[in-house]
Amino acid sequence: MAAADGGVPAAGLVARQWPQAGESRVPNWIYTDPEIFAREQERIFEGPNWLYVCLDAEIPNPGDFTRSRLGTREVVAVRGAGGEVRVLVNSCAHRSMQFCSANRGSVKEFICPYHQWTYDLEGKLLGVPFRRGLRGQGGMPADFRPEDRGLTQLAVASRHGVVFASFAQPNETIEEYLGPTILGWFDRTFDGRELKVLGYQRQRLPGNWKLYQENNKDPYHASLLHVFLVTFGLFRLDQKSATEMDETGRHAALINQRGEQKSNDATAQMRAFRQDLRLADPRLIDPVREYPGEATVVIQTLWPNLVVQQQSNGLAMRQIVPLDARNFDLVWTHFGYAGDPPEMTERRLRQSNLFGPAGYVSVDDGEAMLLSQAGIAADENGECVVEMGGRDVASAPHTLTETAIRGFYRHYRAVMGL
Amino acid sequence: MAPGVGASAELRYRLADLYAAYDDALGEGEYERWPEFFTEACVYKITSRENYDAGLPLGLMQAESRAMLADRVAALRKTTLYAPRLVRRLIGGIVLRAIEADGMRLSASFALFQTMLNEPSQVFLCGRLYDRIVDDDGALHFTERICVTDATLIPISLVFPI
Ligand SMILES: [Fe+2]
Repeated sequence: MAAADGGVPAAGLVARQWPQAGESRVPNWIYTDPEIFAREQERIFEGPNWLYVCLDAEIPNPGDFTRSRLGTREVVAVRGAGGEVRVLVNSCAHRSMQFCSANRGSVKEFICPYHQWTYDLEGKLLGVPFRRGLRGQGGMPADFRPEDRGLTQLAVASRHGVVFASFAQPNETIEEYLGPTILGWFDRTFDGRELKVLGYQRQRLPGNWKLYQENNKDPYHASLLHVFLVTFGLFRLDQKSATEMDETGRHAALINQRGEQKSNDATAQMRAFRQDLRLADPRLIDPVREYPGEATVVIQTLWPNLVVQQQSNGLAMRQIVPLDARNFDLVWTHFGYAGDPPEMTERRLRQSNLFGPAGYVSVDDGEAMLLSQAGIAADENGECVVEMGGRDVASAPHTLTETAIRGFYRHYRAVMGL
Repeated sequence: MAPGVGASAELRYRLADLYAAYDDALGEGEYERWPEFFTEACVYKITSRENYDAGLPLGLMQAESRAMLADRVAALRKTTLYAPRLVRRLIGGIVLRAIEADGMRLSASFALFQTMLNEPSQVFLCGRLYDRIVDDDGALHFTERICVTDATLIPISLVFPI
């Protein structure tokens, strides 16, 4: 950490200067510097922020648990006897062993396999084998207090079936954290109906985690890179759209309304638009309207580790798990509603072909991470230009803007002291 | 072809030829030939062991018709951006497990190796194939192919079918 924190001066971080132009420029070193990454872990992923953990639907009954990763830390979310969810660090209070090695399951208690220290669903230490020794020999010291050796617990918040947690208690409720604008979009998808998990996808991308937040705050690329989306009118900037943010700029929602496969003055600037392409089996894209209002796509980016995808009837949580400065994992949890009729589940599954590591649309983004990181890493002193739609941070009634990326970095700089 | 149930030598040769021809088409990158190995209505799915064992229906790629397979090929030719790479498939241990009214059930193991341009070859994915093959007027076609990958985690992206 920097000298200001009282630690050993770190030449790298002290010398770092954000470009004078502000958020319309992003310096390449924030995507490569291990010291920046360490500070992000400390201030963002272990700071007072509500991080996405899992869905309630993954752990419906007492004793059900699922593992999750928040930044570089691993946690276990478990439902207690009273129905409440606890988020525990997956590290035994004895020798820090990862005590839970299944992705999900159901237990009555957690037993660390190394020395069989046993914890209840609240993370309280229940038993230590040979705590009092054997025949007067060995054992833990007389002043050993099991109540001081429970599992580390995180602060937990949940809203409408989505579980969030924080290593440092935020001074905002999850509702205050999201702010009224984003909460409105969040509640549109999570309207209180019970959810149903359709399955998981995971991919490892050779890029800095922030590139994925930016990618999902960047509607400009969607109309150019994604031939599939553009051609079939699923997201195009000449369609009715909007870019909205909370007051801090850390969260955003990109909103779009489906159009037709017709050429016009805008498609003339999109090399991606292919008037000639037709699906041989149109069942792939057979969306039905399921939410009030006109929007057919809402992509929410929540600070710091979640993208909520609603593209037609394709719903997914995309959890961003940073590994180091140059790599992150993306964990996709596709879902629908418990009350969906079978044909709606079929439709969601068909549309899932657009997303994930093999998605008609998402492959483009995965490859963009690879190629962006490669270009950035080759020139750490370079900078990226983010001034489509101006240099300010403000919601806009269109998507021909990079304002949500600027909003993200305005907040990022404040948190990171950069 | 390994031990089977009541299969004639001729049928075994025909099955071996089908797998070899499929492998040849994909091995040469001639993806346009790929849908022709399937029946008009079919099930093609790539999923992970994690989803498969949990009974979760989501896959990585899924299609219900030869036309949807053709759409997959059209997308990888015309709409998808990806860094240049080659994918090599090795399929082995093909076993005819049962001959049933709705087709022959076979299983096999697969390994995929990926070579990104200017990079060394690396193991990309491996797993099991669960196939159903029908004999229509002397021609064998896949009517179902479920590819179950051992890893859920995909390095970067899965562009080509298995
Ligand atoms: Fe994209």
